[in-house]
Amino acid sequence: MKRLGALLMAGLLAGTMCGSLALAGCGSRKKADFVMPEGGFDTSKQVTIRFYHQMGGQLQNILAEYITAFEKRYPNIHVEHRSQGDWNGVRKQITTEIQGGNQPNIAYCYADHVALYNRSGAVQAIDDFLPGGAFDDVTVPTVLTDSFGTYVDAEGNTVTEPVTADLPLNLTEDEAAKYNKTYYDEGSMYGDGKMYTLPWIKSTEMMFYNADFFNQHSDRISVPKTWDEMEETCAEILEICEEENIEGVVPLGYDSEENLFISQCAQLDSPYTSETGTKFLFDNDTNKQFVNKFIEWKEKGYFTTAALASSDYTSTLFTEGSIIMSIGSTGGATYNVDASGSVEQFEVGIAPVPQYDVNNTKLISQGPSVCIFKSNDPQEVLASWLFVKFFTTNPYYQTEVAQNNGYMPVLKREFMETIPAYVDFIAEAEDKDIRAMAVREGMLNQDNYFVSPAFYGSSVAREQVGLLMQAALSGDKTVDKAFSDALTTCTKRYGK
Amino acid sequence: MEAENMEKIEETSPQPETPRGMAEKDINKTARAQLVGKIFVQIGLYLFLTVMAVIVLFPFYWMLISSVKSVAEYNALNPTLWPKQFVWSNYADVFSAEATGIDLGRMFLNTVIVGVVSTILSLIVTVLSAFALARLEFRGKNIVFGAMLATMMIPGELFTVTNYITVVNWLDWGNTFAALIVPFLVSVFYIYLLRQNFLQIPNELYLAAKVDGTSDLKYLWKVMIPLSAPTLISITILKMMGAWNSYIWPKLVVGDSHQLITVGLRELASMFSVGNNPNFPVQMAAVVLVTVPLLIVFICFRKYIMRGVSRSGTKG
Amino acid sequence: MMEKTKQPKVPLTKAEKKIRAKAIFNRWKAWLYLLPALAILGLFTVWPIINTLRIAFSNGYQGMLEVNGETFTFGIENFKTAIEVSGFGNALGNTMLLTVITVPVSTMLALLIAVALNSIKPLRRLLQTIFFLPYVTNGIAIGMVFMAMFNMIAIGGKAQSLGIINGIITAFGGSPIDWVGPNSSKVANMAVLILYIVWNALPFKILVLLGGLQGVNKQYYDAARVDGASRWRIFWRITVPMLSPMIAYVVITGFIGGFKEYTSIVGIFGEEMGPYMHAHRLDTMVGLIYDSLNGNFEGEAAAASLILFLIIFAVTMINLYVSKKKVHY
Repeated sequence: MKRLGALLMAGLLAGTMCGSLALAGCGSRKKADFVMPEGGFDTSKQVTIRFYHQMGGQLQNILAEYITAFEKRYPNIHVEHRSQGDWNGVRKQITTEIQGGNQPNIAYCYADHVALYNRSGAVQAIDDFLPGGAFDDVTVPTVLTDSFGTYVDAEGNTVTEPVTADLPLNLTEDEAAKYNKTYYDEGSMYGDGKMYTLPWIKSTEMMFYNADFFNQHSDRISVPKTWDEMEETCAEILEICEEENIEGVVPLGYDSEENLFISQCAQLDSPYTSETGTKFLFDNDTNKQFVNKFIEWKEKGYFTTAALASSDYTSTLFTEGSIIMSIGSTGGATYNVDASGSVEQFEVGIAPVPQYDVNNTKLISQGPSVCIFKSNDPQEVLASWLFVKFFTTNPYYQTEVAQNNGYMPVLKREFMETIPAYVDFIAEAEDKDIRAMAVREGMLNQDNYFVSPAFYGSSVAREQVGLLMQAALSGDKTVDKAFSDALTTCTKRYGK
Repeated sequence: MEAENMEKIEETSPQPETPRGMAEKDINKTARAQLVGKIFVQIGLYLFLTVMAVIVLFPFYWMLISSVKSVAEYNALNPTLWPKQFVWSNYADVFSAEATGIDLGRMFLNTVIVGVVSTILSLIVTVLSAFALARLEFRGKNIVFGAMLATMMIPGELFTVTNYITVVNWLDWGNTFAALIVPFLVSVFYIYLLRQNFLQIPNELYLAAKVDGTSDLKYLWKVMIPLSAPTLISITILKMMGAWNSYIWPKLVVGDSHQLITVGLRELASMFSVGNNPNFPVQMAAVVLVTVPLLIVFICFRKYIMRGVSRSGTKG
Repeated sequence: MMEKTKQPKVPLTKAEKKIRAKAIFNRWKAWLYLLPALAILGLFTVWPIINTLRIAFSNGYQGMLEVNGETFTFGIENFKTAIEVSGFGNALGNTMLLTVITVPVSTMLALLIAVALNSIKPLRRLLQTIFFLPYVTNGIAIGMVFMAMFNMIAIGGKAQSLGIINGIITAFGGSPIDWVGPNSSKVANMAVLILYIVWNALPFKILVLLGGLQGVNKQYYDAARVDGASRWRIFWRITVPMLSPMIAYVVITGFIGGFKEYTSIVGIFGEEMGPYMHAHRLDTMVGLIYDSLNGNFEGEAAAASLILFLIIFAVTMINLYVSKKKVHY
């Protein structure tokens, strides 16, 4: 018995040692930084790349269609794409796979995901692929096609037999200039000066309003442009409802407490977070002031949030007429129109989120970018780069996605307006197509977007300011306590 | 130890004494009173069971009606108990998405393969271990059993990453059925359950078999397994369901060629969402489609449960 | 030892060899039977546990950092952070409360249903099937259903939707209660949660107990009935003792499962672990562990799970001690 026990102990110990060594010795799980292989991109070798995203439904079909076009352009590249369901799914799958040394080549990402992945050094910086980058004179044999994969010759005429030409590997100056600058610059705001992402498709918040209600009472109210006007409008709407005996109306609904807080900071130019120095700056008096204001509004019955109304989105209450103005993502634009016909349909209008200074409009920028992971096979990195470049500079792909759900192209409006498909789509705004209306309004505001700094822990700041607003609005905590608790949670794990 | 406990029970239930010398009249009276009592008890039992059954069934019912509601009706503020209109196209939608390259047929086959193989192997492993722990005397038995129980106490989610590294990096089982089967062959829950069941079988039977010169395996096969049929069938059902419902692990370790049905159906269901807003009725339809085959298997197995039960009744 | 080897060797007869071989086999056969289980457990359970230990005691461990080649010092920093992170006390309290209430309630109910099922004749098959049915329903669906049943939506002082349960309450003249919404109380949340957990636990427990009941020797009942013992007496003096191994099983595994409660809360309240506006109100120990894992703080998660392990271990030891005294085999 004793001997058996000793044997067991020895085995356990040996197991632990071996295990630790094996894990420590798993240096192979870390991939090498990209080095341009001799001969550049090898078109004679088949290369398969994996792309993880969270696209649902129709978006996957559109993606698949353009992947086919991409594979025609580079016949030796094969793309496998897989939806991980939701954002958390993408992040969890990838962090696990990184630990197994088995990560995909390309992923849909938010900025804080990139910061997290980069703790393991897994993300490939793309500076060398940009205009003026190290690979500026490298070319890639490319089958000439248009954006949809139809074969063309050097002049752009449709042909039946594929024509191959050597095209630049890098983004050209011309191509880079077409991206919306805010979105493009977002890729290099990680504090180390390197560029890691390109924007894929973007959305913002807009105010959806009950146009019928405003038209019926145009003598008393108009769509508010500033928060001061908003306060007056809310009071007036409540008065109207009382006069007309309409019960259960809250004038303003806001989907996301997180976005509300962050947008207020941006509009008031009040500190929120910073990627350098002290990271968490949101605990200050200006911010407490606006939180107090919204608590007051809530108590007066001016304002509710999705969570306060026991829901994920305010759009259901909006379509039922209980909310007159609903601020939410353009990505969910269609939900502000009731398609079932179960409620009386009113006309929906779209306006920018109210501001403090209309001459310095600040709108939140949201939506996925893409990053490329390091790989021990440089051909995979090259193929991934070509993939990212193809999709993020393709105005037709961007238009189709916008058309599908109200997301916004990442390319400048001036360029997009040269694309007939885009012009046709935007024209539908006149027929009250809610997606076209959202995209049109969003693109008109293309110079007004702001992004928050990205660093390891930035998502926790976001989550915590949302929770602090909830705790303060629901009265669970005093405003001061809510702020200090949120700050403690952030700094405890991520330092100051 | 088991034998001692058996004796204890014999003590607590003394030998019956037949009521002799009672007047005929009294017997009739008590019989009638007993009959009335019995009827009341039976009514009470049925009432209790019916109420519980309704409570238990309700969510099941909800799942079914939700799968044929329209999105608007599902999302309506006041949920309806009966669909205003039946949207059967939710089911058609689940399958129409197949055009996008998710091969449901293959995933179904994969799931059956994984389910059957892992159930058979798991039953063998479980029966052998439970037998050793319930019937054999050996040094360190309590330690082994205790250690096994202890492994149930750590949340298994923590093992995911380590096991992922083991399976993909060390064993190189990425994208194989082995990766889906082997890590889950042993369930301490089932070993423990079966051990408890084996312990109920009087040890005298085993000792008698030993005297007769019956081998352990023969005894196991001829006596213990038939007597534990209900439990073994329960384990079989649970194990099959495990394969059927598993989602996180297969999604992690295998690609499309070896993928299991729940992952596929969830992927299909997610095709019907706009932005981040899922279409729940179609998802429910997918859930129902996952559940129905299980239900059929389950109802088929029920016969065997009953047979196993009646056998243990007559032989015990 | 030397002496022993020097003793003259007497060649063994064939029969003796056979007996000796059999003796050796008998000594080791238990291990032979256990071998497959132990091997797999070793690789896929024990090894991860050892790895968890290593991670828990590596200060500030993060899997991502390890991939990057960073090393960690040995220490208990992870345990400190795990306990200091806000909400530890709340999570521990919630976990204890849920376990202490739901395990006895669900066990008693399951026992009553199993016994009731066992003592009826008509409709027995049907009812039996019904009680097993929840086993083949999907967890996602059930959570959604409970949410829909209890959800009340009210804004601007007017209830927009009551939910079925509140509909029933108002039909009997009561006033509606916010069970799971932004204005709900923690007591109301807990009530719904307990109902859900018990509901969820019933089918498996009924399955196990009914399996056990049907293994009970009918002669005991016949004997007792002839004896004129009351139903109640039969229940306590025969049914419960005969079922005691199975009851011990469901209670012990129930406690272990109870302390690991997590999915039920996600099922109803979502990953925020609380109703709208009250995130983390209903957090549990495993909820905390998940939170750490979600933030990729594997060190903290490992430490928290070891703390949880110690708690469960202590409770299980008490359970085993009690059951050893009470269980009849």
